[in-house]
Amino acid sequence: MTTTLSGLRKKFEQVGYICDESTALTVYLALDLKKPLLIEGAPGVGKTEMGKVLAEILETELIRLQCYEGLDETKALYEWNYQRQLLRIQMNRNLEDEQIREEDLFSSDYLLERPLLKAIQAEKPVVLLIDEVDKCDPEFEAFLFEVLSDFQVSIPELGTVAAKNIPVVVLTSNNERELSDGLKRRCLYLYLDFPEVEKEVEIIKAKVPGIGDRLAWETARVVARLRKKQDLRKKPSIAETLDWARALVALNRNRLDGKLVADTLNLVLKTHADQQYFKREIGPEGVEKILKNTEDGGDICRCQ
Amino acid sequence: MPVSIKDILPESRESRLEENIATFVDMLRREGLPLGTTEMIDALKALGRVDLANRSEFKAALQTTLVKSYRDQAIFSRMFDHFFVPQEEHQRKSETAASYRQQLENLINQADSELQFKGESLQLSEKELQQYSSLSQQQRDSLQDFLQKTETGKNVESRFRPLLETVVKSHLRYCRTKKSSEQESFHNADGSGAGSFAGSEDQGLREKDIEAIRAADMPAAEQLLQKLSRKLAVKILRRRRTGPRSGTLDLRRSMRENMRFGGIIFKLKHKPKRRSKQQILLLCDVSASMKQYSTFVLHFLLGLQEVVRNLTCFSFSDDVENLTPGLKGRKDLQHILDRVIRQSQNWGGGTNLGRALSEMARKYPDLINAKTTVIVVSDTKTVSLDRSLKELEKLNERVKRVIWLNPLPLDQWPDYRSVNAISEIVEMWPCSTIGQLEEVLTGRL
Repeated sequence: MTTTLSGLRKKFEQVGYICDESTALTVYLALDLKKPLLIEGAPGVGKTEMGKVLAEILETELIRLQCYEGLDETKALYEWNYQRQLLRIQMNRNLEDEQIREEDLFSSDYLLERPLLKAIQAEKPVVLLIDEVDKCDPEFEAFLFEVLSDFQVSIPELGTVAAKNIPVVVLTSNNERELSDGLKRRCLYLYLDFPEVEKEVEIIKAKVPGIGDRLAWETARVVARLRKKQDLRKKPSIAETLDWARALVALNRNRLDGKLVADTLNLVLKTHADQQYFKREIGPEGVEKILKNTEDGGDICRCQ
Repeated sequence: MPVSIKDILPESRESRLEENIATFVDMLRREGLPLGTTEMIDALKALGRVDLANRSEFKAALQTTLVKSYRDQAIFSRMFDHFFVPQEEHQRKSETAASYRQQLENLINQADSELQFKGESLQLSEKELQQYSSLSQQQRDSLQDFLQKTETGKNVESRFRPLLETVVKSHLRYCRTKKSSEQESFHNADGSGAGSFAGSEDQGLREKDIEAIRAADMPAAEQLLQKLSRKLAVKILRRRRTGPRSGTLDLRRSMRENMRFGGIIFKLKHKPKRRSKQQILLLCDVSASMKQYSTFVLHFLLGLQEVVRNLTCFSFSDDVENLTPGLKGRKDLQHILDRVIRQSQNWGGGTNLGRALSEMARKYPDLINAKTTVIVVSDTKTVSLDRSLKELEKLNERVKRVIWLNPLPLDQWPDYRSVNAISEIVEMWPCSTIGQLEEVLTGRL
């Protein structure tokens, strides 16, 4: 899993993940120092995507643990398959000559591996994506950072299970609550922001085949303007920009106009309040102004 | 194979880099970043893997290992730019510093030659001589004149020297208290990277009346508020941890746990207690006299948004207005706050608490329930006091608790009928400084 910084940048490009220099450097350091990478940022900036992309780059399995309130060790680490254990006990009652031992019931045959244990026991290093870690309870977070520091877990019936290979760990957080210092201390930190217009144009071109320069630029420009509106309840994510661009390509459009934006608005703005806000505060005329500024400002020329 | 700092730097430069990083980490700690030895070691390891001559790589390596939250990024960037000065700028600063030092030496020598008694220099420290040289020409002339007149007086002997020295020192001490900050910075300029970033000013700001905090101190006050609210956020999070047996019996987990005992329920497992989310309703009086206080409390509570998921902010004066939608996202708090202030129709008007409370109950009935803690920031100066009291009583009955933060000085409370009447209905706390704000909310959230 060894790679160089320039090699990593190249691989990011190959898989179509457009990012800035400092992001690539942070990921490189996390891989090289074998430290978990904690990624924070607004929803839709590409935090989860980073885990998927890393698995693709490193040509390995992605194991995902989705965090939520109430998540505990049994869902994240391991659980005994007690139904199977019960069945075994029941079966043995009918077999007089076969004595069942405790070790038989608490062996790996009856162990249900959950994502953390699966990542630790994998034969080759995997990418472990612990998604939305801020949604789990502080107790689980405390448990988690013990796992992440030693890469081993203790199962009372089996003993300590040490990692066969240290996985690449990516944790994401929407910053809904402050994570504990203990967890942060064990991670390298990366804050992902929405991309600049130029970067988003690159992303659109990489992910939406057949899109023209002009349409890519105008789409990115309008989305960037929408994101600047503080009153929007949910800002458009990169995925939504891509969906929108794909839809525009499917509609055989090669440039935006006010009416088209208003007609396809539900692909970018996903709440009724935001759509109402758009109609009230921006409208097709506002979009025309944004597009006109794009042309007047000469931005369009840079991509042509 | 991992590369260590030792592999890429000669020993002297290596230890210099380590020293610099240690100093830098220490400066960040003083700014409130929770950094331990682990982070410092990580930073050094990361530096071993980047091109040290590339400033952006160098900065990114330090940032990714030393910064652990979005809020700390701004502090880091500011400190980095101040501490790791580019070679040319460092050169320029060093030259300026050397020039200052030379000037200073000349001034000290001149001061020494001017402050003489009977042909001999007075026994003054270098600092006192610097102090003398920073005085205006008129002040210096006056001191020289005093020495000359004393010297030429009748029956003046050499043994008067200590007395004269004491007089001159006292005078310099008096002048020092009046010295401007501009003069201080001139004399202290040494061109080194590390400036004074100690949190000693924090204490002063904490105890200062919020109304008296001027625009120049606002960035520091903002940082202090963020630091304190983060501290409180961590405390709230820790308190929320529940014990293992705090809820009702969990039959499924109990059975599973007791499989090993042959199905005999040997160990009981309990469901974790449902965590009651803090629901906070903040009511900020935004009449002219309350603007600054309300802004500060709002700022402080916004820092708790991460742990208090249901925080709803209202401004009130003559009417009530929901500020919450405009406060979403935390990118640039000051900017958002300014925008809210600009947009709020209530900001800076008169106060009618009774009307505001009844409007709030009418428009937002869902927010007023037994889980809600209401925080009111107001000096109690309202029209229609009787109606206000009635509305407040109604509100108090329907919510978990009402905490009233009053910025009026405590000794003035007895002078106001409204303070007495309201404090009989709800708990009221003095809140004219950042320190008091932190103290009141830490104990009650």
